[in-house]
Amino acid sequence: MKSNFKRIIEKWIPQNTKLLDLGCGDGDLLGHLKNSKNVNGYGIEIDISKANECLKRNIPVIQCDIDEGIKEFNDLDFDITIMANSIQCLKNPNVALKNILNISNKCIVTLPNFAHWSCRLDLFLGKMPVTKNLPVPWYETKNIHLCTIKDFEELCNKLDLLIVEKLYLNNNFKESILTKLLPNLFAAEGVYLIERK
Amino acid sequence: MIVKTKKILIDSKLECASGEALESFELMTDFYGELNEKKDNAVLVCHAFSGSHHAAGKRGDSVGWWDEFIGPDKTIDTNRFFVVSVNNLGSCFGSSGPLSEDKNGEKFNNDFPQLEIIDWVESQKMLADKLGIEKWHLVIGGSLGGMQSLQWAVSYPKMVKKVGILAAAAKTSSQNIALNEVEREIIRKDEDYHDGKYLDFNKSPVKGLKAARMLGHITYLSAKNMDQRFGRKLQNTASKVAEGVNFEIENYLQYKGGKFAELFDANSYILLTKVMDKFDIAHGYDDSLETALESVSAEMLVVSFTSDWMFPPQNGKEICLASIKANKKCSYVELEGEYGHDSFLYPNKGYQNAIKNFIESK
Repeated sequence: MKSNFKRIIEKWIPQNTKLLDLGCGDGDLLGHLKNSKNVNGYGIEIDISKANECLKRNIPVIQCDIDEGIKEFNDLDFDITIMANSIQCLKNPNVALKNILNISNKCIVTLPNFAHWSCRLDLFLGKMPVTKNLPVPWYETKNIHLCTIKDFEELCNKLDLLIVEKLYLNNNFKESILTKLLPNLFAAEGVYLIERK
Repeated sequence: MIVKTKKILIDSKLECASGEALESFELMTDFYGELNEKKDNAVLVCHAFSGSHHAAGKRGDSVGWWDEFIGPDKTIDTNRFFVVSVNNLGSCFGSSGPLSEDKNGEKFNNDFPQLEIIDWVESQKMLADKLGIEKWHLVIGGSLGGMQSLQWAVSYPKMVKKVGILAAAAKTSSQNIALNEVEREIIRKDEDYHDGKYLDFNKSPVKGLKAARMLGHITYLSAKNMDQRFGRKLQNTASKVAEGVNFEIENYLQYKGGKFAELFDANSYILLTKVMDKFDIAHGYDDSLETALESVSAEMLVVSFTSDWMFPPQNGKEICLASIKANKKCSYVELEGEYGHDSFLYPNKGYQNAIKNFIESK
């Protein structure tokens, strides 16, 4: 994960918080947050080789499938959950989103915006988008439920979830005038802090 | 790899959880590798039900039960770690047990104190003291061995840095206990059992022991694994080991059961199954696993196998979730495992990497 992206997520995370990273990959973000915010962090990861990377970094990891259900994490006193670019890999993102806010009151979601101009351009040229933050071709990608910034915000609304904070970032994970002006066209990445209403 | 086998006398009293006591006892122990100067590279490997101290290396026809995991450059690298493997008290491979003599010079038979997992941990703690090991880098084991590692983490938090709990549970289930009781009953019904005093008659209830093991063995395998390995294949006549055998699986169980009965002791079998039955780490902590884990300071790795129906994944995950609730550092890995409960014994890349990364991470 890009270091400036990690710094952006870090801003919304209080010191010493108990945190669950859903789809934590190799534990890079958790390792960063352990150092910078001294979090009591745990990761969930389905892929054994990535989970093994977490073990190598001494990051506690639970190898399981988020789609199979995460209800058993409900009463474990997590302060905050993170879903960094993993929501689009789930079978039922809407169900997962709702359930995540039973694990903790706050959740940080980041997602690649499928309506970014580079995606639109690829589609206009008749190709499935292969972009900076969606680098894998369609036949190999784990992204089965890609959405746009507009779609995601509509889903939050439908699920009665409150978007407390949001950031629209360009390919360099920075805000710009353009991403602020027309996020669904110019933001490559949406970053959200969500709470239950 | 430096390998040593020693029978170590612990000349102090072991007060057992049952209230009984052993004035002194012996532990048959294997050592692999070398203890470093700081004495901070010691690993305690705990064996499962019918295992022994012989965890690595070949001795005659016998290969250690975790040979592919312990050795130079292996999962537990003996170039770095000093591995201690103890035959549990009450077992029958050299440590004090039903086959040993009591203070009057008579065989214990079935009068050996009924032990619990916590007594094993206590005996191993006394061994650690004797070896000058103040803190294990790792205590690890599968099945009953996993229960021992969990007990170590709870009982002696300052003496363990890392704990590996493989194919185990925080307590035995009603089904576990039920199956164990059937196995015990099979042994008790053998005419050579003599109410547990068979050694006095120079007998051994081998038929009962064999049948009990045959049942036990099925619980260590998975239905899928048995289907793949044996299916409905018929046994060829030339290699039939028993009358009336039709299928390969029957012949296999007959053969394995027979071999086991030659090596194992029936009173140990009964005693060890009872150790398993008794185990409930939350006992004495208001039956709350989370409360039981409060004392833990070790980092934990729990591994379960989906093909294990003796201690299915939910058992392992339960330990991990309770640990997280108690704010302990705990990881959980779930693998399919081809061999049912016994999967923890077999090499597998993802599995071995998980253990290796866990042990070697700082």
